[in-house]
Amino acid sequence: MSTERKLLVVKDLATTFHTPSGPLAAVGGVSFDLNQNETLGIVGESGSGKTVLSRTIMGLQPRNNVEVSGSVLLNGFEVVGASEKEKRSIWGLEVAMIFQDPMTSLNPVMRIGKQIDEILRVRLGMDRQAAKAKAIDLLDLVGISSPAERYNVFPGELSGGMRQRVVIATALAGSPKLLMADEPTTGLDVTIQAQILNLLEELKERMQMSVVLVTHDLGVVATRTSRIIVMYAGRIVEMGSTREVFARHRMPYTRALLEGSPKVSNPSHTRLLAIPGRPPNMLNLPKGCSFAPRCSFATDRCREERPELEAASEPGHTFACWNPLPVKERASA
Amino acid sequence: MSDSTQPLLKVRDLTVTFGSHRRKLSAVAGISFDIYEGETLGLVGESGCGKSTTGKALMRIVEPSSGTIELEGIELTTKKGKDLRNFRTRMQMIFQDPISSLNPRRRVKDIVAEPLDCWKTVEGAEREALVNDLLSKVGIDPVAYGDRYARQFSGGQCQRISIARSLAMRPKLLICDEMVSALDVSVQAQILNLLEDLKAEYGLTLLFIAHDLAVVKNVSDRVAVMYLGKICEIGPSDTLYESPEHPYTKFLLGAALEADPDSPIHGDVLSGEPPSPMNPPSGCRFRTRCPNATDKCANEEPQLVEIATGHQVACHYPLSTLARK
Ligand SMILES: Nc1ncnc2c1ncn2[C@@H]1O[C@H](COP(=O)(O)OP(=O)(O)OP(=O)(O)O)[C@@H](O)[C@H]1O
Ligand SMILES: Nc1ncnc2c1ncn2[C@@H]1O[C@H](COP(=O)(O)OP(=O)(O)OP(=O)(O)O)[C@@H](O)[C@H]1O
Ligand code: SF4
Ligand code: SF4
Ligand SMILES: [Mg+2]
Ligand SMILES: [Mg+2]
Repeated sequence: MSTERKLLVVKDLATTFHTPSGPLAAVGGVSFDLNQNETLGIVGESGSGKTVLSRTIMGLQPRNNVEVSGSVLLNGFEVVGASEKEKRSIWGLEVAMIFQDPMTSLNPVMRIGKQIDEILRVRLGMDRQAAKAKAIDLLDLVGISSPAERYNVFPGELSGGMRQRVVIATALAGSPKLLMADEPTTGLDVTIQAQILNLLEELKERMQMSVVLVTHDLGVVATRTSRIIVMYAGRIVEMGSTREVFARHRMPYTRALLEGSPKVSNPSHTRLLAIPGRPPNMLNLPKGCSFAPRCSFATDRCREERPELEAASEPGHTFACWNPLPVKERASA
Repeated sequence: MSDSTQPLLKVRDLTVTFGSHRRKLSAVAGISFDIYEGETLGLVGESGCGKSTTGKALMRIVEPSSGTIELEGIELTTKKGKDLRNFRTRMQMIFQDPISSLNPRRRVKDIVAEPLDCWKTVEGAEREALVNDLLSKVGIDPVAYGDRYARQFSGGQCQRISIARSLAMRPKLLICDEMVSALDVSVQAQILNLLEDLKAEYGLTLLFIAHDLAVVKNVSDRVAVMYLGKICEIGPSDTLYESPEHPYTKFLLGAALEADPDSPIHGDVLSGEPPSPMNPPSGCRFRTRCPNATDKCANEEPQLVEIATGHQVACHYPLSTLARK
């Protein structure tokens, strides 16, 4: 086992919303940890709980009708159950988040420089002048040219890629140790996505951060993370080093996700591995394995009893499945 | 496969201009291409480069400002009224947003029958049978779901219903605009496989518009790349992906990430962002971001020329000629 100090330890985390149609277990039984300076990817289809999990780790939940249990230990700070005031002491400094929709994370009627200033003044207690100088530095750091002039523009005057750079600058203002990036490049063009991903990687090294990269884009996780978590219906169904999970996944849904996505290297008219159906209704989850209604390997046991994560051969690789795929031969190097 | 005879669709110097006077914008700035019977032509490029406008201009949902569109040898841009509508049944378009492109208050069967009802081609039991057949073909049980309303369906199912509707008039050409972009991976695979099956069964020819380079590679025989309203390269998909000739194509493909940890990460990353289409650069539209640009590129607009059989590129210095130097 690694002796590195864990920056983040999540144990048995569950987030349930009380909706008019009944309880919705958006996240359940989630446990994992994260090392310093590591990039962890979280993948899964729409509605699998990626955003709710990220927000729960941050301690950001709606005020009412939600129940969180389990533990999120962030650099020694227990997030679950902490008061708003206590959490404010870590937001921006220990952990910061890039939200899925860049338009909602910037205030449209406030100049971009002022938005960064505000964080620096409120969180770091800087004075006006120092904050402005630091804000301009940050804009420069995220690759915005003529930062002193751009300091005064409104978000609407920037392209999507530029806005995302500003969002990154606001997140990094307090030099957080952990950056939660929820779909940071979704909706951006590929060439702009490449710029943003390079920027994140460079900043991660420079600032010695850990990054949790949430995405449904398998190309992004494959090439930009060292470890991944695969989620289905609010639970982790497989987890391990990125290389191992791509090469030797054991859980059938992971296979469908990885092998069902088109590849640039495929010849024209490649038949894709397609599974029937669609992700389950979260208000009405099946009793056993949530994937059972779509799984061609499902047996009675799968429909009755939920499989827990168990260890695969490589340390750190776990999967939840009663009838796992056979272990693939390791290519002899 | 492309067949050397007459193309099914022949587009020449197509332009679409929005706005007027000083706020004029050429969303499509003079493009020419052919689509052959039975093939799939992919159309890629980044946001705002004019892909959807091209598709809509072919359908005459937006009016072309100039240029010609010939379908099966018949010029369409001059057609009007009933004549035009007649031709529209030969081409159908499927859009990105599956849910909003269907009327939520109509029953699925009636949505699929919309074109049939509009043209009154079939009625009564025959109509019913045709609709049921179409729904079964796209994997929706007509008995269980035919009477439900569109709003009760997921994105993937709505896209199946859109496909069924588009096939009702037995079109020759199907224009798919980002038809799987809003779908989850596991559902996307189902729809792409379905599209391939129906293409074979109905003898369809496809214009497949998408920004996802992997998706386009999987379905297309040939691919055209657009940048700021122009086609910069067009060729057989394998050749184009393996040895692109236009610098923009190379950057675009280089930015696409393969879902494989052993694949190389981004090589050279294109810097900057596309200029405004209101005010495009002189000469080659890519020159402001092109590492190979010279004075000639600013002064002379490169035309699309054939560099190998079926492979055309609009660049003064195609990459293979640079490599040879
Ligand atoms: N505030 C809320 N109240 C009730 N249900 C919610 C709330 N927020 C999220 N959910 C539900 O929780 C589930 C998980 O949602 P989440 O946003 O985490 O998915 P996701 O994996 O991020 O999906 P996407 O890829 O679409 O962003 C969904 O079923 C969603 O409808
Ligand atoms: N109805 C319209 N009026 C004015 N400008 C328009 C109109 N429709 C499109 N445009 C502009 O034309 C250009 C091309 O748009 P188009 O929608 O064709 O791009 P696209 O390649 O489909 O992009 P995306 O990948 O984002 O769908 C853009 O600059 C767009 O803003
Ligand atoms: S537990 Fe059963 S249903 Fe679930 S993935 Fe494994 S085989 Fe399929
Ligand atoms: S014509 Fe010139 S500027 Fe345009 S792509 Fe070719 S080399 Fe670059
Ligand atoms: Mg999300
Ligand atoms: Mg479009």
